[in-house]
Amino acid sequence: MKVRIEEIDGNMVAFMEGSLDTSAAAETEKAMSPLYDVEGKDIIIDCTNLEYISSAGLRIFLGILQDAEEKGGHVYLKSIDDNVRDIFKITGFSNIFEFI
Amino acid sequence: MKRIITYIRRKLSVRVSLWVVLFAALIFNVALGFLFYQSRETVRQEAISHATQILDNTALRMESILSRVEKASNYTKWLIQRHPDRPDSMFVYSKGMLQNNPDFFNCSIAFEPYYFKDYGRYFSAYTKHVGDSIRTVLGGSDDYQYFYMDWYLMSKLLGHPCWTEPYMDYDVPTQTNEMVTSYCQTITDKQGKMIGVINTSLSLSWLSQTISAMKPYPNSYSMMIGRGGTYFVHPDTTKISRQSIFTQTMLTPDSAMTALGYAMQHGEEGMKQINIDGIDSYVFYKPLGQTGCSMAIVCPESDIFSGFDRLRRTIIIIVTVGLLLMLFFFIRIITRELQPLQRLAHEAETIASGQFDAELPDFHRIDEIGQLSHSFGNMQQSLVKYIDELKDTTAQKASIESDLRIASDIQMGMLPEKFPTRADHDDVQLYATLTPAKAVGGDLFDFYFRDEKLFFCIGDVSGKGVPASLFMSVTRSTFRTVSAQESMPNRIVTTMNKTIADMNKNNMFVTLFVGVLDLPTGRLYYCNAGHDAPLLVGDGVNTLPCDSNIPVGFMPKWIYSLQEAQILTGTTIFLFTDGLTEAMDANNDQFRVERINEVAVRALANHQQEPRQLISQMTEAVNQFVGDAEQSDDLTMMAIQYIMLQSDVKMQKSIVLSNDTREVPRLNAFVEEACEAVGFDKTVTMQVRVAVEEAVVNVMKYAYPSGKHGDVKIETAHNDQRLKFTIIDSGKPFDPTVHTPVDTTLSAKQRSIGGLGIHIIRQNMDSMNYERIDNLNVLTLRKKIKR
Repeated sequence: MKVRIEEIDGNMVAFMEGSLDTSAAAETEKAMSPLYDVEGKDIIIDCTNLEYISSAGLRIFLGILQDAEEKGGHVYLKSIDDNVRDIFKITGFSNIFEFI
Repeated sequence: MKRIITYIRRKLSVRVSLWVVLFAALIFNVALGFLFYQSRETVRQEAISHATQILDNTALRMESILSRVEKASNYTKWLIQRHPDRPDSMFVYSKGMLQNNPDFFNCSIAFEPYYFKDYGRYFSAYTKHVGDSIRTVLGGSDDYQYFYMDWYLMSKLLGHPCWTEPYMDYDVPTQTNEMVTSYCQTITDKQGKMIGVINTSLSLSWLSQTISAMKPYPNSYSMMIGRGGTYFVHPDTTKISRQSIFTQTMLTPDSAMTALGYAMQHGEEGMKQINIDGIDSYVFYKPLGQTGCSMAIVCPESDIFSGFDRLRRTIIIIVTVGLLLMLFFFIRIITRELQPLQRLAHEAETIASGQFDAELPDFHRIDEIGQLSHSFGNMQQSLVKYIDELKDTTAQKASIESDLRIASDIQMGMLPEKFPTRADHDDVQLYATLTPAKAVGGDLFDFYFRDEKLFFCIGDVSGKGVPASLFMSVTRSTFRTVSAQESMPNRIVTTMNKTIADMNKNNMFVTLFVGVLDLPTGRLYYCNAGHDAPLLVGDGVNTLPCDSNIPVGFMPKWIYSLQEAQILTGTTIFLFTDGLTEAMDANNDQFRVERINEVAVRALANHQQEPRQLISQMTEAVNQFVGDAEQSDDLTMMAIQYIMLQSDVKMQKSIVLSNDTREVPRLNAFVEEACEAVGFDKTVTMQVRVAVEEAVVNVMKYAYPSGKHGDVKIETAHNDQRLKFTIIDSGKPFDPTVHTPVDTTLSAKQRSIGGLGIHIIRQNMDSMNYERIDNLNVLTLRKKIKR
């Protein structure tokens, strides 16, 4: 699982690539920790290349969202494919995230 | 006759009047009877006294007459004896006798033959009344030799003067006969030799007239008898001198008459009641002085009592007519008095026919009729009031009944109605019936499927009707709630027991059997709480061994025991309540377990142990047994047949990981491979991957104490229908299927991560099945292979 974070057009964009399963969760979390320091900017998580996610991954996403909401920022999930979208749907996470 | 009796029974007026008249008649009878008796006695005494008086009177007169004759005779005798040799004087004396005594019949002074030689043999100075004059002749001739006559001989022979018996005196000149009696007295000369007889006669008819002059009664008559009993005087003149008082008795013996005769002859005085010539008479008799004659007055009773009898007849007629009139009028009067009753009766009929408001007649009377009419009015008012109350009560009752019906519908609606078909479930067949005894009942059954397990229960609340049905509802909902959190029957029942006991104020209880049938394996876990042990119908008919524990609801701290059994394919579990074992026929015999077994054995022999068939057989058998008798208890039956056929298992693979999440990629590869083998597309494969990952990660994280190494074995297999993954670990017992579902509607702030994994598994997999087998947690996830 690879994570690349860039700032684009005033937003923090995190590019996800690969399968975010439980074994990759610890590393990925560490890699995304800069997003916790974001202030006054929106976060976009680009999931174009996100193949797989399990509950460990969802936990990470939730953490980022909760942190951003506290600071008044938005979190957008971009280009999630259908299979991954399913997971968000069945867990109800599709209600709390914004998709673009 | 019968009609008259019926009439009398029907009519009060007639009955009362008859009674009154009867009593009056009785009183009259007694009073008049007494009066008549006394009066008759008085009349009798009067008659006796009257007759006796007359008799005395007549006797006295008779005696005086006779005495006069004797005196006259004596005086004449003295005269003659002074100068017994002057024949001419005799004519004078003889004539003188009659002149002085005009009522004497005749007198003859007759002398011995040749006493007066000048006159020849015969000399009798005979004087007799002829018309108004007195004729004296010389009597005696060859034709009439008086010496031999009674009147001449008797006194001569007897030596003293006497009266003769009556005899017929023939008067030659006038050629007339007369019945006479004579007083004859001998004349003696100075020497005492008899020289002649003075014969003074009295006409008997004259005597008779004299005696009979005073008649006490119209039909009474007098009679006189002489010394020998010969009639001197008698109304039947033919009897005079010819018959005696005894004559009749010689022909027809009559002791009374004979007694009378003797009494009179003996100079007795008195009264006798005798039947003379067919006529009942009173005979008063008395002797006539020294003459040796006796007199009697015969008074026919009819004469004596005629007045009395007439009076009595008249009175009786008056009384009888009076009583009849009384009867007639009384009937009329009472009928009139009772008319109000008829009217009341008529009005009562009107009320009885339904017109409760009918106007009762007011008689304005304060007597019994008035009281009755008043009471009637009260009764009518009460009737109206009670009927109104009754209408209200009936309406309320109807309302309660309709509520009960609705309650019954609700209760029945709570029971599962849809039973799984073969299409729904190819592993188990199930059917159940519940027939409540009253509108609402206390029996319950329930079943539902969760995670490839069949949760079922059957129970019986103590009692019937509304209280039991309410308790039943509580029990059922508690079952559902608790078994959602708990898969083991003993823990389900223990929790249910505590919950129900805590709220059980009425000390009701429920017997319960809870079972959990693991469908993949056919393993039955069960807990019995005081309920009838079910039957297993498959390999023969056997009773499932059950601990009895105690019924649920009254000892909150009781811990229930868990039991297990393996159910073979084709076996039917047959559950029932005691409404079946205790179903009673008309003789109060019970159906009993033995009969249940019989029916099950028969069904098994006919291969009819499929749930619907088995229950139908049992129902028929019970109905036949009970017949027309009333159903005494709720009757519930449930049959569960395990029909799981293990279809061929293809491709079995397994992998063992250690409890390290870094092994997850290995897992995912394993899963992908299996999915590919059954031909799942990408979407499905991902679903399966996520689900299996979540399940395995859970085990890895929590099954073993942290830091401790443990193995997790993942097996996979598939058959025609499903792909399954079995995750096995030997860690602490953990049943993921009972954990609280996640609320996916919460906001980000409220969400937590916990429980998400299980939720995903449930959503993505078709079934999740947990078993604890031999100290291993065995979690099986299945996904249907869509064809």
